[in-house]
Amino acid sequence: MKTATTDSRLADSASGRSPQRPSRLREGFTINPQTVKQWRRFRSIKRGYYSAVALVVALILSAGAELLVNGRALIVSYDGELYFPTYGDIIPGNTFGRDYEYETDYRDLKALFKEQDRGNWVLMPPVPYGPLENDLIPGYFPPYAPSFESGHYLGTDQTGRDVLARLIYGFRIAFAFAFLLLLCNYLIGIAVGCAMGFWGGVFDLLFQRVIEIWNMVPSLYVIMIVTSIVIPNFWTLAVVMVIFGWTQMTWNMRTSTYKEKTREYVLAARALGASNTRQIGSHVIPNTISVIVSFIPFSIAGGIFLLTALDYLGFGLPPPTPSWGELLAQGQNHIVTAPWIILSVGISISIVLIMVNYIGEAVREAFDPKKHAYYQ
Amino acid sequence: MTSYFIRRFLLIVPTFIGVTILVFTLTRLVPGGPIERMMSEARLAGDETAASSYDSQGGSTLSDAQLEDLKAYYGFDKPVVVSYFEWLGKVLVLDLGRSTRYSDPVWDTITDRLPVSIFYGIWTLILTYGVCIPLGMYKAIRHKTAFDNVTSAVIFAGYAIPSYVVALLLLTIFAANLEWFPLGGFVGPDFDELSLIGKAGDLFIHAVLPLIAYTAGSFAFSTILMKNSLMDNLAAEYVRTAVAKGMDFKRAIFGHAFRNSLIPLATGFGNNISLILTGSFLIEKIFNIDGFGLLGFESLVERDYPVVMGILVLSSLLFLIGNILSDICVALVDPRVKFGSGETSQ
Repeated sequence: MKTATTDSRLADSASGRSPQRPSRLREGFTINPQTVKQWRRFRSIKRGYYSAVALVVALILSAGAELLVNGRALIVSYDGELYFPTYGDIIPGNTFGRDYEYETDYRDLKALFKEQDRGNWVLMPPVPYGPLENDLIPGYFPPYAPSFESGHYLGTDQTGRDVLARLIYGFRIAFAFAFLLLLCNYLIGIAVGCAMGFWGGVFDLLFQRVIEIWNMVPSLYVIMIVTSIVIPNFWTLAVVMVIFGWTQMTWNMRTSTYKEKTREYVLAARALGASNTRQIGSHVIPNTISVIVSFIPFSIAGGIFLLTALDYLGFGLPPPTPSWGELLAQGQNHIVTAPWIILSVGISISIVLIMVNYIGEAVREAFDPKKHAYYQ
Repeated sequence: MTSYFIRRFLLIVPTFIGVTILVFTLTRLVPGGPIERMMSEARLAGDETAASSYDSQGGSTLSDAQLEDLKAYYGFDKPVVVSYFEWLGKVLVLDLGRSTRYSDPVWDTITDRLPVSIFYGIWTLILTYGVCIPLGMYKAIRHKTAFDNVTSAVIFAGYAIPSYVVALLLLTIFAANLEWFPLGGFVGPDFDELSLIGKAGDLFIHAVLPLIAYTAGSFAFSTILMKNSLMDNLAAEYVRTAVAKGMDFKRAIFGHAFRNSLIPLATGFGNNISLILTGSFLIEKIFNIDGFGLLGFESLVERDYPVVMGILVLSSLLFLIGNILSDICVALVDPRVKFGSGETSQ
């Protein structure tokens, strides 16, 4: 039997290309060489890195989703004048010579202009439907199957809304929500957790018990109870979730602060007379940053999971907010008649969450390369 | 060891009181309670649109008689401290009030549903531990081989995708599309007329998809945990020493590394009790399995608050018991555990 011990992947070969030299951005400002090393290590883990690139691109695109997926036209040229209806107030139909005062139906207008052939034109976004528009075909009941002709690339849901549009806007809302949760949970977690680990004593003991008790209640169920009584909007739902979600980061921060506090460099700082704020702010927290950062992707995944589950059960964001969970619920109701709904949303969630987890895995690896000795 | 257990059990008391206070606070949310009243006043003062969506989401509104029952059971007319202790007294003798939907005692309503959840819980437990411990060990020994990489990819997908999405996708593909399995339910409609073997087959065919969904999440977590901790232990000096001294590799694994590798798994073992008893209401809802979880969901939709709060109390207490069980398990497999001195290892 061989007992060769080999360092597993990412033995520093990836980052060992150049000697550790701080890369200079400007005179007097250097990036921490450790950070450079971590970034290189992260980039060397291909699936995590490419997932990160893909997700960032998707997030940027979804931030401008109004330009890509919208019932409003991008540009309308009417009688020699250009209109840009995407952002801003609605433009009533009579602006373009129609006989109604509600918002212009741009798809209709486009067909009309084409027919008239008077040099007027309409440029529609690639997906010419908004997430809240019901596009009904007279005589047929939705959901309609995917079709390239109608522009419903993934079909419509049970009220004739475009599935792709709802997916993309739902993606944006889910991520915005997950980031908001992350921010609040981490602010509380870092503040309380650091205080617990740093000061210890009665404060620590008290919060330990509080967190233990908090972890005993089934949080998803409690959130459902609360939202069944108070109808939530985006912000109140976030508040309720933070109330039951702050414990995890607090506990992690407490543990890592506790560890760092006893290290020599903190003792040295204290011996030199550094104040508590300085010890925490410039010594403890910077050294726990790897813990904080490596939890971020998993918290994002957790936030998306929570929101989608609540929406699926009908206790999340109120309709008609575009949401993945609501699409899942609709998809299940039409599982035989309209499988495109559940398949498109189910596969989207799977891909996005797998990518987020790839990123998480890569970040963890980059910050804390585990070298396993193993037998061959 | 004995002193450890005594101190551990003493610690239950403050936690129990804390948990019951938290749950009691939540019971103040039910209709007719002070928090609900405050909320509805705020709602009336605020926007009207929120109030109109109020009824569309939930089921029926409660009748006056039902509201009176709720008020009497939770003691809304008494001072908070008095009603807390009265409520606690009722909970301790398992009087959880009366369901407004079935007008049966809540305790009976809940225990009626338990066998179904226990069935799934136990099978999930057997499948999870029965497969993930050997698989994790094999993956650790065969680290970086093709087998390891392929299973890692599958396991990773199972970990990343939430179990209820897995459940929905399975349902779409294998039940709705291929029609290999039924669309849901615990047993088929003609269950009572089947022979014994037919019954077992019927139960089995209904259980396949939910069990896959149940295991998907916990399975990935436990396998990776098992693999990593075994690898950590194999890299540790005591195993290296044992091998260097000429010990058989098998004995080094089973005699030394294995037991220590179980410690991380043991920390989560007690929580299985709540899995066994309560299941997951997401999966029970998707497969329409009439267990504890679906009951919790339906009573919330139907605004059957005594049952909702009963389920909340019971599951919180089960979590509490599960945590204690986990601690006992850890103490049993890890003789190094000492109470109160474990700070640095936390």
